[in-house]
Amino acid sequence: MAGSGTAHLRGHDDIVLRVENLVMEFPVGRHQVVHAVSDVSFDIRRGETLGIVGESGCGKSTTARAIVQLPPPTSGRVVLDPGTDQEAELTALEGEDLRQVRPRLQMIFQDPISSLNPRRQVRDVVGEGLHIWSEGLDDEQIRARVDEVLEAVGIDPTVAANRRPHEFSGGQCQRISIARAVVLEPEILICDEPVSALDVSVQAQILNLLEEMKHRYGLTLVFIGHDLSVVRNISDRVIVMYLGKVCEVGGADALYSAPAHPYTRVLLASAPEPASTVDESEAAIGDEIPSPMDPPSGCRFRTRCPRADDRCATEEPVLKALDDDHFVACHYPSVAGTSGA
Amino acid sequence: MPADTSEHTDGEKLPEVVAGPDADRAAPRRLGITFWVAIGWVALVTGAAIAAPLLPIADPDEIGIGPRASGPNWDQWFGTDTVGRDMFSRTIWGARVSLMVGFFSIVAGFLVGGMMGVVSGYRRGWTDLVLGFVTYIMLSFPTLVLFLLVILLFGQGLWTVTAALSIVVIPSVSRLARAITIAFAEREFVAAARLLGATNRRVMVREILPNVLIPMSALLLLGLGLTIVAEGGLAFLGLSVADGFSWGKMIQLGAGLRTLQTAPWVAFFPIGAMFLTVLSLNLAGDQLRQYFDVRELGIGGR
Amino acid sequence: MSANWESGVAEVAGALLTVQDLSVGFLTEQGLVRAVEGVSFDLEPGQTLGVVGESGSGKSVTAKALMNLLPSYAQVGGTVSFDGRDVFAMAASREKHFWGVEMTMVFQDPMTSLNPVKKIGEQIAESLRVHLGRSRRDALVEAGDLLEQVGIPEPGKRLSQYPHELSGGLRQRVVIAMALACGPRLLIADEPTTALDVTVQKHILDLLDYLRRTRNMAMILITHDLGVVKGRADEVMVMYAGHTMEEAPTTTLFDEMRHPYTEALLETIPRIDTPSHTRLVPIPGRPPEVIEVLDGCPFAPRCRYSIARCLTDRPGLTSHGAGHLCACHAPVGTPSGTEARAANESAGTTAAGLDMEQFTRHVPVADLGQLGAEG
Repeated sequence: MAGSGTAHLRGHDDIVLRVENLVMEFPVGRHQVVHAVSDVSFDIRRGETLGIVGESGCGKSTTARAIVQLPPPTSGRVVLDPGTDQEAELTALEGEDLRQVRPRLQMIFQDPISSLNPRRQVRDVVGEGLHIWSEGLDDEQIRARVDEVLEAVGIDPTVAANRRPHEFSGGQCQRISIARAVVLEPEILICDEPVSALDVSVQAQILNLLEEMKHRYGLTLVFIGHDLSVVRNISDRVIVMYLGKVCEVGGADALYSAPAHPYTRVLLASAPEPASTVDESEAAIGDEIPSPMDPPSGCRFRTRCPRADDRCATEEPVLKALDDDHFVACHYPSVAGTSGA
Repeated sequence: MPADTSEHTDGEKLPEVVAGPDADRAAPRRLGITFWVAIGWVALVTGAAIAAPLLPIADPDEIGIGPRASGPNWDQWFGTDTVGRDMFSRTIWGARVSLMVGFFSIVAGFLVGGMMGVVSGYRRGWTDLVLGFVTYIMLSFPTLVLFLLVILLFGQGLWTVTAALSIVVIPSVSRLARAITIAFAEREFVAAARLLGATNRRVMVREILPNVLIPMSALLLLGLGLTIVAEGGLAFLGLSVADGFSWGKMIQLGAGLRTLQTAPWVAFFPIGAMFLTVLSLNLAGDQLRQYFDVRELGIGGR
Repeated sequence: MSANWESGVAEVAGALLTVQDLSVGFLTEQGLVRAVEGVSFDLEPGQTLGVVGESGSGKSVTAKALMNLLPSYAQVGGTVSFDGRDVFAMAASREKHFWGVEMTMVFQDPMTSLNPVKKIGEQIAESLRVHLGRSRRDALVEAGDLLEQVGIPEPGKRLSQYPHELSGGLRQRVVIAMALACGPRLLIADEPTTALDVTVQKHILDLLDYLRRTRNMAMILITHDLGVVKGRADEVMVMYAGHTMEEAPTTTLFDEMRHPYTEALLETIPRIDTPSHTRLVPIPGRPPEVIEVLDGCPFAPRCRYSIARCLTDRPGLTSHGAGHLCACHAPVGTPSGTEARAANESAGTTAAGLDMEQFTRHVPVADLGQLGAEG
């Protein structure tokens, strides 16, 4: 199956993660298959924040899970630190070998309450990583590390350490999850909709905290979200996904100020306060998303796209460079200054 | 899907409600007086059973300590049975066998069944299929036939009977543990533990087991009530512990037609003891189950 | 449009819905929990009121109070009159043909409003048959019409489908159709699009707007997202911890907000046009739990403007111009407010002990280039 291409992959300069031709398919019933992720590729530079945005069913969360091999993807390669002597091809590892690499990639999830074991104390939850990999650390040292990390995320260890998750609010639980993730000083932190379930007045705290953690621990972030404003705010680079495919990739500001893919434009026009770079009328497309079990041929967006024609049905568009760091998979992308084919 | 409801509209949490929509008050969530009275009775009976050899009570096997089949009086508080043994003492001593068999069989059943269920539910795949098959076999095998077979092969010792009874308990516990495990295995904190690099064993023991055991522990009390009754029934049929007597055995001894007519207390006291104990276990177990259930809900969810 | 607070006029002529001093409390083992207190507003026919708030704000409880959906251990005070009729009296007398007919509600999750084992046509028809006495056949025909009005393609086919066969967006449209079946004069929409994708969200909000205009229906749109009400409500009421913080016509609220909470909300939300890595102004702390009982203003612990008085005296609603009410001792844009904030900033802390430095904190070196972009 032709993918969206790899034109947007960059050279070997300090790439911390490369995902190549990722495919994730789930069998459903007897004969059907859900094509959740269909040949997606991208890479991330060290210290970058990559935002992945799209609506439900686009495959962004599935991609995140596939990167951490939970479960492993149907096919494709995920390589950590390619080209260095720390290189690890996650998709080729299994069992104990895979387990050894785990501390290098961590994840935080959408539901703050469900992310923490209700029966364990905060200290144990955050210290779990250290206990698993604790060669050479005694209990006192582990305790000190845990306290340090808790303070870093804004939770007072003297008050919180012996409490259980249900005694905390959603925002605080999310902080605890972040603490658990960074205590092992991973290279990459994947954030799967981390603020979607939080109150608005608390979201900024957590977003700011993620930025702080990024600087403090030298992390590379992958931020998955559906709120376009939030994703733009936190990301250096953004990928827009639709129905398992990559539509557009680019620097955050570049992509939002000159959106090229019709779907990206629809997203930006549909926001409650639409982006100034698109016209509100561009939001007017059909509601019905095609089934991921039977996605449209060629370009998957063509059934709702105002510009679609026969070519879109027969030939899948491949990512092409529009600019230095702006790629779009479309036969009729919007070029800066225009708003349509 | 965007926006889980945990803090938006669902954050408009009405105070936790245990009662239905017509309640006058949002019901409190704590262990009430029923629980403590019930537990008190169970503790009393257990204490007496354990301390039986030390208590200043008559020898339960001594025949003729009092007049035959005489009713409750100041010398023998519960009267005597048909051969003149002290009923009060016998009731306490009978508790020992009833409670021991009941207790150890349910605990063994929970431990073995719990482990089977957690392993089944977490690993799925072939492990689940094989263990599931074993469970079905255990569930389908007729209980009494099982007991007859066991007795035939291994005799009627205390531990043999306990083991046989625990086999009956295992499959139900296993299925329950499996269901709870499957529900928890999908929660993000389990994925997080795996991501940290925990081995499967560690995940099962540290993440899943506490979440399975604690709600199930509430069922332990209810289960204990069942095993006591089960042992009683087996004793009544003569299939229980041969050396020693339990309440069931006492009931059997007192259930002859003539004895019931002339000395009903011989059956009445063991029946009463068993009834009150099992009732208390049911009440306490139910309260405990409710208490833990609500706590679970109270953890930030609906 | 709003009631003249000072003179305490009970009803404004022409208003469809008048809510006066609504309060809702729940009797729990910890005592009385006040979920909503002193909420007043009115709504004219065909107008949209946006109610904005976070968890614990009381916005949903308010809606449920209007719809008579609260459990019986809720204690409700104040008056609500709909077209001159006393709503609570109707509740007490178990009036059957008011809710669902004149006043209806749409909830966040369509799956909880739809019966999974009944066909969609039946569910819509039910309302028509019970309230309007239609025959089954007529009701089903009308149901088909309603589905068409809410923009569902192939309405005839949908009548015999089950809810699980439809996507989230379509289900929400079905729920809206159900709500509209008996031609209500007021529709309450409680976070109707929060669980939906952004493209679908826009369509549903547009639909609600369209229906409101063509039916001259009043609407209360409840949401946590200020952006949602910006283009779609005539008036906005901001709630926090069960109280009304500010109430104003929409443009006034966004351009000249007076309440520090409103201001903080507007500053903390990233906007789609804001460049990447703009530092967001946080609102420290979190909304209070429903259980906590507070002296003074509920927002004081998190407020940049709080003065000593805020901790002890709960501010009442005062007028700041036509139809603009605000409950604050040191409102934004007023001399007392500006002074309070400046004093707090130079002292480094507020009366409630809030650290003021976190708002202007040390920005990491890498982001220094962005400083100019901070709003």
